[in-house]
Amino acid sequence: MLKKLKRTAKMHRIFIAQDLKKLMEYKVDFLTGMFGFMVYQTINILFLWIIFSGIPALKGWSYEEIIFIYGFSLLPKGLDHLFFDNLWSVGYWLVAKGDFDKYLTRPLNPLLTVIVEKFCVDAIGEFIVGVALIAATIGKVSVQWSVINVLLFFLILPFATLIYTGIKTITASVAFWTKRSGHIIHVFYLMNDFAKYPTSIYNDVLRNVITYIIPFAFTAFYPASYFLTGENPLFNLGGTVIAAVVLMTIGVLVWNKGVKSYESAGS
Amino acid sequence: MIYVDSIRKEFKKTIKQPGLLGSVKSLFKPKTEKVVAVDNISFHVPKGEILGFIGPNGAGKSTVIKMLTGILTPTAGSCTINGKNPQKNRKSYVKEIGVVFGQRTQLWWDLPLCETYAVLKEIYEVEDSAYKRKMDLLNEVLDLQDFIKSPVRTLSLGQRMRADIAASLLHSPKVLFLDEPTIGLDVVVKDNIRRAIAQINEEEQTTVVLTTHDLSDIELLSKRIVMIDKGRNVFDGTVDELKSNFGQMRELHFELANEGDLTKLEYKAKFGLTDEDVTVKNDKSKVTVRFNSDCVPVGDMLSYTLSSIHVQDISVRDADIEEIIRRLYKKEVIADA
Amino acid sequence: MRRFLRIYLPFSKAGIQEMMAYRFNFFFHLIGEMLSCFVMYFVWLAVFESSDSSTFMGFSMIDMTVYLFISFTASFLTYSDGAIAIGEEIRDGSIVMRMIKPVNFDMYFLFHELGSRAVETGIVLAPMCIGVELYKFCVTGTVMFSLPNFSLFLVSVIIAYLISFYFNVCYGFLAFFLKNLWGSSVLKDAVISFLSGSKIPLAFMPPVLSAVLSILPFASLSYTPVMLYMGMYDVSEIICSIALQLFWLIFFWALSKLIWRIAMKRLCVQGG
Repeated sequence: MLKKLKRTAKMHRIFIAQDLKKLMEYKVDFLTGMFGFMVYQTINILFLWIIFSGIPALKGWSYEEIIFIYGFSLLPKGLDHLFFDNLWSVGYWLVAKGDFDKYLTRPLNPLLTVIVEKFCVDAIGEFIVGVALIAATIGKVSVQWSVINVLLFFLILPFATLIYTGIKTITASVAFWTKRSGHIIHVFYLMNDFAKYPTSIYNDVLRNVITYIIPFAFTAFYPASYFLTGENPLFNLGGTVIAAVVLMTIGVLVWNKGVKSYESAGS
Repeated sequence: MIYVDSIRKEFKKTIKQPGLLGSVKSLFKPKTEKVVAVDNISFHVPKGEILGFIGPNGAGKSTVIKMLTGILTPTAGSCTINGKNPQKNRKSYVKEIGVVFGQRTQLWWDLPLCETYAVLKEIYEVEDSAYKRKMDLLNEVLDLQDFIKSPVRTLSLGQRMRADIAASLLHSPKVLFLDEPTIGLDVVVKDNIRRAIAQINEEEQTTVVLTTHDLSDIELLSKRIVMIDKGRNVFDGTVDELKSNFGQMRELHFELANEGDLTKLEYKAKFGLTDEDVTVKNDKSKVTVRFNSDCVPVGDMLSYTLSSIHVQDISVRDADIEEIIRRLYKKEVIADA
Repeated sequence: MRRFLRIYLPFSKAGIQEMMAYRFNFFFHLIGEMLSCFVMYFVWLAVFESSDSSTFMGFSMIDMTVYLFISFTASFLTYSDGAIAIGEEIRDGSIVMRMIKPVNFDMYFLFHELGSRAVETGIVLAPMCIGVELYKFCVTGTVMFSLPNFSLFLVSVIIAYLISFYFNVCYGFLAFFLKNLWGSSVLKDAVISFLSGSKIPLAFMPPVLSAVLSILPFASLSYTPVMLYMGMYDVSEIICSIALQLFWLIFFWALSKLIWRIAMKRLCVQGG
């Protein structure tokens, strides 16, 4: 098991090095893209700022707190995008064109192999903006950066990330039956937009959906609200862990079942 | 080594229903029909043999290969290779096989070739010393050094195929599956690849299963062929047996000096041939005569033609594999009736 | 004219067929894109609940909702990437395949995209507008649909689409100089979403900035059609805004022709 992880890690390093090299080749393009992404996020923050020029607080949350939640939401999103982006290609073309064949002729777990094959450097922008926004709120929000909380912060991030990865794995697996599922991943993935704001702004139905069914709220608002208020760690953080574990388990099960009914393509 | 016992593969095909309403309906309750791609095929390949697996487009060759390599699960029947079931012991099984699909690369598009091999080395857990030895051998057999530092996307089709074959051999597989390894390549590259396959087979006693459209692949590489059509096994034996059983069709091509001369040629009367054994087709002055060389020697055909009329550019070719298969069917139909 | 249509309509038909084949994917795509509208709707709902006043910078909650969904519809319908491949084709030389036929390069791309746009418009426009009008009816209890406003909106959206098309033709030529268009298209989309007012209504911005932005071509892409739909303009403003849209259309059309001519000259010099 350990040996296998080591091998996979070694492969992953080769791919990461390769993607970084490619990045150097397209430096100008990459930097323009990064800049574009920052502009986009700045517009969103500007929008929040305009809103808060008219109101003192949004359902009890201050401008800085909203920025903290918004910044927090970008961290797991960025991590998933950075490391697990290749699942999209399963939904868009790997299965439909029969290119998934090659993963089955290799003595490694196909899911793992698909995932490590791409390191999506584009995602670094999300991560940087997230860190910057959180850093900007330090001292302006009442987060207790005790040793325990810092530890919890870093511990909860991988789980929040796996919520994204789990949802992508489940929806990508649909392609094994329908050939293409890119558009299904797309719809579910974009629901993460709801996670950027306090759940109290939504109506009951929507709140329950993003808490219990497609639990994106656990990637950002709930854990962030624990750090902001110190309340309900069991629900706010424990929920994130449970959601991640449940989604990844379902994801792996559906994936494995899907691989069995994979029908390849061509003659 | 390879035992295939009456395997069968059915696919479900969704039937498109016309109109918007139809497509909404098929979204929720798709109408499907069963398509049998492979129907009750059995064969056996001993260790170290090169087996040619042939048949026309859509015969089910690739489906069989995909079942043998563990990509598809057979609907019925079983295959055992190296004592393993490709579906049940997938990970340990695929370590012992190499696979090349001619129409699709397993190399990483953006990676330089040497990096691809470094990744595969990790995937297949090849020891450093064995890896070095293997790379030296493959370099020698397949001439990789000219493009080993180039990204795969920049390789020509011939280079890519050589690279793909090398990739499939890196871990010294006991069985090598090649699906159309010479498709779309020019004659020189084809020849290079055939020699490489023969050499690897010789040196490492690798069992090879090869599908192809090109009969010369088979003639140069394998003694034994399995031929399928419409998912069924239609022939299993040596190349010589195929030729003697089904007649060796040849084609005589020439151009007439005077277009009217064609009527002067009376092959059937001269050699006493039936419609089955000789056909004459012409496009203006260009003539193709297809004949069974078991019934009449090539030399006789040539000398009769040359002595009867004036011709330009005469040549003799093997009839293609499609032709043999076509004839094979005729015989079968006759035999059944 | 009939000859013109006989040449180019088949491209539209092909576009329609492609679109029909992918209509389910499109549907899901649309739902995905609309989710952000709903997020924004709830954010605004919370803003109005947290505020003492019933208007926000002159917009009521109803105005805001109409703005959100109609602006989304307008941006969606006027989005154009049909000609983005043009620079790429010039660089790798495949444009030659288009030049050997007596077909206008822009008309080919335009009619092809118009085909798929027609299907998309069919799927998007009516439901969105009916949805918005139903919402207004439910909240206020009166029918507020105005046919003249809707017609103006339609005219304006069509011009906006053509501006967007020719703007993107010009942008596509960039691929001739840049190795990759990923970065610049992220930047372009971000900048346009700001300048066009589709993210933040121009009325919310400082007066000077808002005045400048409304003259720039990007406001013509989504802000103008939305304002027309909502009936925010008086007669002289309507005439001015449509005239401005036409001006930008001609500007980008002429610019694309100019760049095409320069590119062709270079192509001839380089020998493709």
